[in-house]
Amino acid sequence: MDALIPLAMEQVGFAYGSHSVLEGVSLRVNAGEGVALLGANGAGKTTLTRLAMALLHPDAGQVTTVGRHTTGRGPEDLAGAVGYLFQHPEAQLFARTVHAEVAFGPERLGWSAERIRTAVDATLEELELAALAAHHPYDLPQPTRRLVALAAALVAGPHLLILDEPTAGLDRAARARVTEIVLARRAAGTAILAVTHDMEFAAAALDRAVVLVAKGVARDLPLPELLGRHPDFPAPPLLELARRLGLEGVRPTAAALAPLLTSRPQTGTLEA
Amino acid sequence: MSALRMQGVGFTYPGAPAPALSDCSFAAEAGQVTWLTGALGAGTSTALLVAAGLAPRHTGGDRTGVVRTLGEDPALPASRAALGGRVALVLSSPATQLSGIAETVAQEVAFAPANLGWPRARIRSRVADAMDAVQIAHLADRDPGTLSGGEMQRAVIAAMLVLEPELWLLDEPTSALDAAGRALIHDMMRREATRGAAVVIASEDADGLLPVAGRLIVFASGRPAIDGTPRAILAGDQVWRAGAASTAIAGLARAAGVVAPYPLTVDDGVARWTR
Repeated sequence: MDALIPLAMEQVGFAYGSHSVLEGVSLRVNAGEGVALLGANGAGKTTLTRLAMALLHPDAGQVTTVGRHTTGRGPEDLAGAVGYLFQHPEAQLFARTVHAEVAFGPERLGWSAERIRTAVDATLEELELAALAAHHPYDLPQPTRRLVALAAALVAGPHLLILDEPTAGLDRAARARVTEIVLARRAAGTAILAVTHDMEFAAAALDRAVVLVAKGVARDLPLPELLGRHPDFPAPPLLELARRLGLEGVRPTAAALAPLLTSRPQTGTLEA
Repeated sequence: MSALRMQGVGFTYPGAPAPALSDCSFAAEAGQVTWLTGALGAGTSTALLVAAGLAPRHTGGDRTGVVRTLGEDPALPASRAALGGRVALVLSSPATQLSGIAETVAQEVAFAPANLGWPRARIRSRVADAMDAVQIAHLADRDPGTLSGGEMQRAVIAAMLVLEPELWLLDEPTSALDAAGRALIHDMMRREATRGAAVVIASEDADGLLPVAGRLIVFASGRPAIDGTPRAILAGDQVWRAGAASTAIAGLARAAGVVAPYPLTVDDGVARWTR
């Protein structure tokens, strides 16, 4: 049933004026899937996400987001069903407190005060932002602001979550947190479409790669078949290490790999 | 003479409760890539802004201590003429660094040389070289405002490369770039250091910079806390205690209970964990 497909694009074309960006793009993202949208700078990745969230509309073909054609609709018509995190979250933060910022979406959706409070508290907890609920978003360091914007994108429990460089500017601990959240949401059925240059994040949190080249989809394949198997997409260190140690298939995160390595002999040291 | 020298520098942003730099002293030399890292708010970005003179000129705030950028105090109005074209500052958000008046990428790259009154033939040849060096020759006729974030960053870097600056100040320059773009910028930094420029970069990309930088300064609380070779520092525990990050493999080793010195690269890890 259409309503269950988070994102379907059929033969989509789009141009900024006379500058054509996408031509004949077809793409489907299913519930629970984690898709990394890859491609060189300027290949049209951000444009594709804006088409998916109805911020832009195709010149040709059709975009269907959470079962709704985007034609004649704007992002507000998809509110709740689609969450998105812009590359520069400054563009989407405006409330006076972190709590108000995250509550804004559910308020617009007409949720009851109690439902809003429960959802906002749970989401802030999930992102370890609860202690900052009363802070002004602009008083927070930029990486924390990104997490606030992510909380706002997650709070309504979207079927489709669109992330534009979700880990940019985050430190290693925050990147690990975002990875865990993406995995948890996927397990609950949320589809993820992420534009990212962070192959460490992609390898850890996502499963499928869609590579845009020259205005169209050049490759659509499982991420492990791309990373380290193509000169433009070197394997991130943990994935390469896992492969060389015969641990292929283990999720390439420190959390997943460390327990498998603690039992190994440590050559070159005096410990047992 | 060091290309950049700070001695007992303090800097506080307007209205900020605490200083961003406090008793900060270090020097960066020509011909070397000097890499600054630290926990969020440790002061690396502010150090670059102070070195470029943007802090306090654009940010406001109070600076104390001695700063010498190519021998000039960058806070003095007179230094702007003396340093014009000799210092390249690259920030993580390239959109703020475009001139906003160039109609094409080629014009953008030619903008500063034209302002400096270079002969036309020299501008043409240097602009072509600079665009080639960051692989944006194919974008020469595009409107800079329509470029993607990564393309824009390359255009900004080309616009500085064209001037053959003596000092590069780069703040997380690759955060909007893909793997190929990162490698390109890292190569550019190496070449610029070899040419004789001083290259100072603030970055958290330990995996990317380990093979590039000759020297690492870890900041904590607004001043250098550790100073040495990247390999020696990143293999130790001190960098973690400072709230900064080492490489992915070092992080894994820590999580796996390995005792320092940590393996840093995939090869190190394979050597350590192969039965």
